[in-house]
Amino acid sequence: MPWPSRTTIRRLAGCCYLAGLIGLAGIPSPLWAQEISYRRDILPILADNCFECHGPDAKQREAGLRLDIRENALELTDGRAAIVPEKVGESELIRRIQSTDPDEVMPPPESKKALSAEQIKSLGQWIQEGAEYERHWAFEPIPRLNAFLSQEPPAKVIDHYITADLQKRQLSLSAPASRAALIRRATFDLTGLPPKWQEVQAFVFDDAPNAYERVIDRLLASPAYGERWGRHWLDLARYADTHGASAIGFQRFPFSYTYRDYVVQAFNEGRPYNRFIEEQIAADQLDLAPNDPAHAALGFLTIGRQFRNRHDVLDDQIDVITRGLLGLTVACARCHDHKFDAIPTSDYYSLHATLANSDAPPELPLVGSPDVPDRYQAELDRRKKHRDDLVYEQGVIMRSRLRMQVGMYLEELVKGTPEQDTSTTFLSYRTDEWRPVVLENWRRYLRTFDESDSVFGPWHRLSKIAAEDFKEATQDLVKSLEEENGDPKKFADEHRFSQRSPKWNPRVLEELKASAPASMLELARAYGRIFEATHRRWLSELLIASEEATPSGTVVPDEDAKHRIINSDIERQLRHHLFAPGTPTTLDFTHRKNVGMLNRGVTGPVGGAYGAIDSLNLEPHAPPRAMALKESTTEPKPAFVFERGNPIRRGELVRARFLSALSNSSSTAFANGQRRLGLARAIVDPQNPLTRRVLVNWVWLHHFGQGLVATPDDFGTRGRAPSHPELLDYLAEKFHLEGWSLKRLHKAIMLSNTYQQSAREDSKAREIDPENRYLWRMPTRRLEMEAMRDSLLSASGELDRRIGGRPFEEKDGNAVPRRSLYAFVNRDVISNLASTFDAANPSTCTLERPETLVPQQTLFALNSKYVQERAAKLIELPALAATDAPRARIQFLYRRLFSREPTPQEIDLGIQYLSKENMQKSIWVQYAHALLASNEFHFLD
Amino acid sequence: MMTAHLSRRRFLFRSGLGIGSLALPQLLTNAALGGIHSPGKAKSVIHVFLNGGMSQVDTFDPKEALTKWGGKELPYENLQTERKTGVALPSPFEFSRHGQCGTPVSDLFPQLSKCVDKMAVIRSMHAELPSHELSLMLMNSGHQRLVRPSLGSWLNWGMGSENENLPGFVALCPGGLPVGGTNNWRSAFLPGVYQGALIDTSKEDPKKLIENVRNPSITSEQQLQQFDLLQKLNRRHLASREGEPALEARIQSFELAYRMQTEATDAFDISQEPQHIQDMYGKGAQNRQLLMARRLIERGVRFVQAWHGPSQPWDSHDNIKKTHRNVANQCDQGLAALVNDLDQRGLLEETLILCTGEFGRTPTVELGITGGGETLGRDHNHWGFSLWMAGGGIKGGTVYGATDEFGFKAVENPVSIHDLHATILHLLGIDHERFTYRHAGRDFRLTDVHGKVVHQIVA
Repeated sequence: MPWPSRTTIRRLAGCCYLAGLIGLAGIPSPLWAQEISYRRDILPILADNCFECHGPDAKQREAGLRLDIRENALELTDGRAAIVPEKVGESELIRRIQSTDPDEVMPPPESKKALSAEQIKSLGQWIQEGAEYERHWAFEPIPRLNAFLSQEPPAKVIDHYITADLQKRQLSLSAPASRAALIRRATFDLTGLPPKWQEVQAFVFDDAPNAYERVIDRLLASPAYGERWGRHWLDLARYADTHGASAIGFQRFPFSYTYRDYVVQAFNEGRPYNRFIEEQIAADQLDLAPNDPAHAALGFLTIGRQFRNRHDVLDDQIDVITRGLLGLTVACARCHDHKFDAIPTSDYYSLHATLANSDAPPELPLVGSPDVPDRYQAELDRRKKHRDDLVYEQGVIMRSRLRMQVGMYLEELVKGTPEQDTSTTFLSYRTDEWRPVVLENWRRYLRTFDESDSVFGPWHRLSKIAAEDFKEATQDLVKSLEEENGDPKKFADEHRFSQRSPKWNPRVLEELKASAPASMLELARAYGRIFEATHRRWLSELLIASEEATPSGTVVPDEDAKHRIINSDIERQLRHHLFAPGTPTTLDFTHRKNVGMLNRGVTGPVGGAYGAIDSLNLEPHAPPRAMALKESTTEPKPAFVFERGNPIRRGELVRARFLSALSNSSSTAFANGQRRLGLARAIVDPQNPLTRRVLVNWVWLHHFGQGLVATPDDFGTRGRAPSHPELLDYLAEKFHLEGWSLKRLHKAIMLSNTYQQSAREDSKAREIDPENRYLWRMPTRRLEMEAMRDSLLSASGELDRRIGGRPFEEKDGNAVPRRSLYAFVNRDVISNLASTFDAANPSTCTLERPETLVPQQTLFALNSKYVQERAAKLIELPALAATDAPRARIQFLYRRLFSREPTPQEIDLGIQYLSKENMQKSIWVQYAHALLASNEFHFLD
Repeated sequence: MMTAHLSRRRFLFRSGLGIGSLALPQLLTNAALGGIHSPGKAKSVIHVFLNGGMSQVDTFDPKEALTKWGGKELPYENLQTERKTGVALPSPFEFSRHGQCGTPVSDLFPQLSKCVDKMAVIRSMHAELPSHELSLMLMNSGHQRLVRPSLGSWLNWGMGSENENLPGFVALCPGGLPVGGTNNWRSAFLPGVYQGALIDTSKEDPKKLIENVRNPSITSEQQLQQFDLLQKLNRRHLASREGEPALEARIQSFELAYRMQTEATDAFDISQEPQHIQDMYGKGAQNRQLLMARRLIERGVRFVQAWHGPSQPWDSHDNIKKTHRNVANQCDQGLAALVNDLDQRGLLEETLILCTGEFGRTPTVELGITGGGETLGRDHNHWGFSLWMAGGGIKGGTVYGATDEFGFKAVENPVSIHDLHATILHLLGIDHERFTYRHAGRDFRLTDVHGKVVHQIVA
């Protein structure tokens, strides 16, 4: 891949672009040219207006024209090409976008899209300059750093890039923030908690040149860092403590918390990001000890919404991996090729195949070596035994019935009942209703035989016979097959071990002769009777044979004529189709998903027996386990594209492999049994430019409130282009060189002047850059729900700093003073606090939370019992209660809540208010309440 | 995600529970959001949800053939529903024609049947599967499995609220949650603020209906002083940060919240209605919550969903004669009153009433768990069912579509849930094909890639 493209270099020569970067000589030429740039100027026009019909999606493509690939766009059709480089006048594209004929103009009128004059001009200019294509920027390799950039302190490089772009717009960084504001900002950013007053004081008066750096180091070493950034990660990982999607009530995950705790710990331990990803996608394939706590990392895949349909579960996993880690919206390709990015459905189903072969292991691994209380183990064993017995017995009964129902299933097939989607069951069955899974088993099973099969041969031969000739043809066939078998006496009634059955199963021939079926439907019933009788004989002969073993029984030799049926090869031939492994009726009910196939009255108790084990594991003394996965070691079934997402419409064959746009054409499929590991390695492969770009952007976003790429989960052609592409790439490459260390990345960002500038508003700058995309100031940020709640509890002195463990619930508004990230997250019933204060949606991967401002939020601040109780506790703090002096008390509150001293006016304002009710305790509580509700408490400068 | 908001969100903080007066300009400036292009007649929607599934052949879709075939097997194999069903079960209810249009309605709805000239009945609805939760999700969000925003959320996102002091989407349900719980009114990938606010209408004290709407621990005089102090602190804080939109917006939001304390409780307080209006709606939570719905609509709430009750009250698997009678009795008077009351006030033209369950019921009798035993009830039926709409530009006195001879399956002009959604959006002036929201790289629609407006029921 040529990089950067020829035209870009040419255009850059002599341009003033690099002037702002003096001191950064030798920097690789930027991806982003100043004049006409395919990436910046042309691709967005084509993507928005043309690709829907002339883009990557083959099914939607009109007139065979594809504009996203240069050679296709240049192809001649009827003597004309859409694009003729350097010849605007000959380019059909230009003619069509300018046409006034409604039949000719592009985009067509019904699309309700139209190009602006400026866009038409850009396209013309681009064609005039040679119509060079460039790959979408996000797929380009990240350039290596030259010697200068790799040695320069990263904070300095960040400032160079930021100030260069500001200068071009006659803007500049704001003055540095005050030390008090800075430590408050840094502490919240890294720990989600306010700084203590002593910490503020120590920093304000610390003259050492590295005072600020030491603050950052201290914060990064604090366990609260993992809690804060772990919570950001949990947004991305759509963390929740319930299954979601349940009909009545909700079902909890007993061990979701072990994933949450793993994440917190991984951040605190500074786990390299590439290792972090490998563990979360493939911990089971990393040769870890069976109880290694890192197995809990697999919760990344397993704590998603538990859709009833397995394909939806996999879709959710594909979405979190691709959107969360790669910034690509691959889930779009479930039903059709991606309309805008080079992601065909075969890519989607390659990932599907990568993930589909894994399931939870029968017993989830313990996390580390926890205490396993005897009474827990005993109870677990008891409940498992109960479940296993129930599952075994009901399985025996169910299978036994299915053996009597062969005719019913064959009839359905004859009737032409179409292929059933077996990925979900939702009906409640009685004994006499057919099960889609079993029907499909029979359909597949019958296909494995041909006309030579001794049992199903006649079936296959007769299925080709026309209705009017059926009866006769059956009798003719029976006759000829009997002749082939030869003398019936040889195998009449006496069958023993020593005797072999003839070529055609006599039982089948007998039945066809006797019942003389006149249609396939009648034939299906006849086969039903054959298997019914076979099964019935087996069951009764079993009883007879067993009776011989009772004390009153008579011992009969096994070769005796009495056993001629049970030991007959003819019978065995038939029984094979009912009992042998892999035959249609041998359903395994130890797979929980099969329980729904049992009868209506049975699914409840069996489901309950599984649920009883979950309930035990929800109890506080149950040891922690990892929500692990295990990839099947058996040869996986071939995987296909599902046309339009429909699992019964199989399209092209796919292999388990990575996205085609990010792999070499020569790349091989992931190894069986290690498919997820293959995927994880492809994601963190340094050759893959997306993972690091997405990650550093995500970190940047959480420090500055907005990403360098403003669409953090969409780096595709429809996402927004980066505001500072070179900076993004620099950070991504530096991140790689620094061992994928998040803590170093934080430090680099936070040591920059860009981060340390003040948040002052500037109306002039605002006019030039209303969104503050170029960072002429530090954005003012509102505390997220967790930081707000934790700050309230911290202010009142209640905050319980214990780390990890099972989720807590605040019932009836009674505060549980633990950090918010440990709160129970219910997918079905989102807590009021979470929905009111824009917490991440626990059902979908979130890289950036929405930010709303609604009166419910301010009503919470004004009226909630929660805030008032915190105010009351705050006033009862011994340090405050120790003095009666109003000034000292007000000062204490300002220091504690706002990390600063009150001004004399603020003290006066307070005293004036408090005096109205004679400084009684109740007015102090109301005063503290107002401070806790105020903007200063809720916003960071 | 949320690209729709990002560009201006630091500037244009949403005020109000909806996006209020700021909504439209913002919508129109954003290519992804250009959904509203012609003013419809309807401005708001009341969806009365007969959750559990109302039987069509016992209410709006009379079938003589059922009586004739009563106790006999249907001439075709029973369609597959959740449970096995047996012979034809004739309706135990009497049908008669009503109004000028002569639309037949059974005696389950003696009051509502007088309103047929204002109602359009669709007899050819169909869903996709005979499962409550899946069909509830389909009816509410257009997708039965995946997490998609509900109709009320879409409307509030797209149209904003006309009253910033009230939630734009209110779900009323007396005494508990329907099957599927809060998923029924979720906002999914739309901002959380557009999800429905649940009001338990079995509570009678309006102050307890909205969280944090009052502060009972201090007097109003104390609160006024505290509020004054708070805003002084906020303005001082702002003074050195002049022009910071987020801070200004929160100051405004406090003013709003302060006003809401009285206004919001009023909206839910039906005791403020004159006695004759209260009498018109009748007693019982189902009737009373319809009066509450009217008060909310009157105040500019965009979408009110009135659920019949917790779990699935209309799910008459057993003894439909008794159970359907009970539930119909609980809401008949209120439904008639709602239609007439809105009409009297001139609000019916701009308020769309939709009354439906998530599916209908089988014309055949449900069989018990053991072989043969009948229940005198009906199973779920997604193959065909009836619903009615009134107001909001609906052509009154219409009957549209038909089921087969026995009322099992929609055969004439079948209407899917996507068609229903497209029609509702059309009545609100929204082109369902252009009403999109960008999420995870895709432009999502309530109707996905489906939906056809049923123009025949539009006036």
